[in-house]
Amino acid sequence: MNELPIIVISPLVAGFLAWLLRVRGVREIIGVAGSLVPLALLIKLYPSLGGRLEFTINVAGFKLGLMLSHLTWVFSMIAAVVGFTAILGMVSTARDNWEWLFALMSLTGVLGVFMAYDLITFFIAWEVMTFASFMMVLRYNRHASLKYFILSIVGAYAMLIAIGLIYAKTGTLTFPEVSAIFSQDAMTKMMGGPGLFTKTETMLIYGLFLLAFGVKAGMFPLHVWAPDAYSETNQSYTAMFSGVLSKAGVYGFILLYILMYGKLIVEFGHFRSAPTFGYIIAFLGGLTIIVGGILAALQEDIRKLFAYSSISQIGYILVGLGIGTALSIEAAIYHAISHALFKGLFFLIVATLIYRTGKTEFKDFGGLAEKMPYTFAMAFIAILSLAGIPPLVGFASKWLIFEAVIHENLPILGGMVFFGSAIGFVYLIRFTYAVWFGQRPSDIENTKDAPLPLAIAMGILGALNVIFGVAPGLVAQELNKIFGKTIIAGNIWELNLGFGRYNGLLLTIWMTIGLLIAAIIYFLGAGVRKVPVTDTYQSGNPVTMEYNLTIRRNFFLPLKEAMAFWLRISFDKLYHDIWKSIEDFAETARNYIYNGNVQVYAWYLAIILIILAAMGV
Amino acid sequence: MISAYYFGAIALILIGLYAVLVKKNLLKILIGLSIMETGVNLLLISIGYVSGKSAPILSESITPSQAVDPIPQALVLTAIVIGVATTAMALSVAIILYEKYGTLNIEEVRRLRG
Repeated sequence: MNELPIIVISPLVAGFLAWLLRVRGVREIIGVAGSLVPLALLIKLYPSLGGRLEFTINVAGFKLGLMLSHLTWVFSMIAAVVGFTAILGMVSTARDNWEWLFALMSLTGVLGVFMAYDLITFFIAWEVMTFASFMMVLRYNRHASLKYFILSIVGAYAMLIAIGLIYAKTGTLTFPEVSAIFSQDAMTKMMGGPGLFTKTETMLIYGLFLLAFGVKAGMFPLHVWAPDAYSETNQSYTAMFSGVLSKAGVYGFILLYILMYGKLIVEFGHFRSAPTFGYIIAFLGGLTIIVGGILAALQEDIRKLFAYSSISQIGYILVGLGIGTALSIEAAIYHAISHALFKGLFFLIVATLIYRTGKTEFKDFGGLAEKMPYTFAMAFIAILSLAGIPPLVGFASKWLIFEAVIHENLPILGGMVFFGSAIGFVYLIRFTYAVWFGQRPSDIENTKDAPLPLAIAMGILGALNVIFGVAPGLVAQELNKIFGKTIIAGNIWELNLGFGRYNGLLLTIWMTIGLLIAAIIYFLGAGVRKVPVTDTYQSGNPVTMEYNLTIRRNFFLPLKEAMAFWLRISFDKLYHDIWKSIEDFAETARNYIYNGNVQVYAWYLAIILIILAAMGV
Repeated sequence: MISAYYFGAIALILIGLYAVLVKKNLLKILIGLSIMETGVNLLLISIGYVSGKSAPILSESITPSQAVDPIPQALVLTAIVIGVATTAMALSVAIILYEKYGTLNIEEVRRLRG
């Protein structure tokens, strides 16, 4: 079983080779090959998934291990597919060797996180991933990268402390053993006996893991790094950054279920029909949806819009995970897959737009649908998928999450999820019209369509969006294997939950027929009337001339003004203020204590001697 | 009851420490340091003292069992030399300070240095 280390290491090796060989052409081939190896090996290993796919080495008394199960295979496949397309996109957009090295290194890290078998491997891979993505941002924007790095470091320390606590009590770090000890502990506690972990310690471990995984997933209120980091780097790389690296946090929450589920239930009990600890995750996820969605609508920069949108979509996954039924977790993993597919596609489209036009703001775009038909087709697929319009994969996964929330009678979370879906349309309509339709500014008159590598990469993701949408059962039946039982019934075309069903193929056929009828009616002579600007109405009143009628500039300004009070509450600013006051406090303390007067230092020595004498040293 | 040697030696150290902590004149601080050093040396010697024994120089009439502990004496010999050297260096620094700033008050010197 030595394919597993090859899967993890090959991108890193390819990255180093691409870094050393400064030959244009060669490094691209090596890099793409390096990202193709994990994908090929994962597909090759699929038939033997039922057996024990493990690999361990001993380092300094610790066993470092990799493992492939149905769950980790699904997540690794997300990483391998989206990682491969992102690397393929980088053939066009990468500027130097640096980006090849660190993009491939972060692919190694994220594969390691998904395939880790013990907490040490998990942590090491986690840090490799963080470091490499930090370096990718550093080249573009120092400030954004530092914000990302500091929040990541806080999360990493939190995780390290939690791992230390677990190791100190249990003496083991491999997932099955830790999980067994926790569930045994839960049993003892339920019988009334003294547990291995007290309630406070359990709460502490849970809180630390929440912090660690929340930072990486971009959970509210720890999301502040994400908009800057996603927008200030190579946009092809962001396809992987937003699509896959954020899933490491999601996977972390699943790990929390695997390791501590019984213990957390016994200690904290239930809130309504969800476990309390999960409800916290779900509620924060709901806030993430709303905050990310509203902020996405207010952005003037394409990259920022999709960065916030990515945060918002992660919220759905957290809601699904938090509710904690088998159905909702399966729905969450489904949404993780579809989010990786459509968000990866979106960022590749953004990469293409920036590569071809060099512009990033909505006001500079317009009317590109004629000039870039292929990219527009891909954008159309991505928009429909993110907005959750059948028959694309985004609909299937969102529908599952809605059903899971409704089935558990959780009205607040349901409201948040539905609101997020509505706000999703609000920001996507902006992207649709401002970039692809309307008048074309003269300086992007000669824009060409996507370069070949980006076109192939987009094609792969676009095709997967359609395939998994029309045949949602393909994914669902794979996810059923994770739980070892049928949670979502039906065949490959149909999802059947028992209280609701969705047939992707049937819907596609009906929609096609509907579109054909509409097209026939249209071409048979629907009267076309030119509408002058003064003939448009808003709330029943004619629109006056001072209103801005272009979607490209400050379109949601009224929304911004209406929400001005809430928008002033910014966690970004809060963290900045905390940082500043710590700095001020340290500066003041330094001035008083380290004041350059030798006699004062002599006093310190004398006082310490007195204290030592008083302690009887 | 604490022995008079210990009391005297520790009193000397404290007097020296007092001078170092409180006095503003650099020369007085150096005097304080010297006093402290003397006190430390005396303390070390008195630790090695065994009542009724003689100097640890072996001859016909004195066997090892009749001498006081020789190790503190060797230590103190070293400490005296170190003390003299540091004092000499500190004094030369004081001379340079006086030449540069025209005062030996350490607060003045600090203020002038900025």
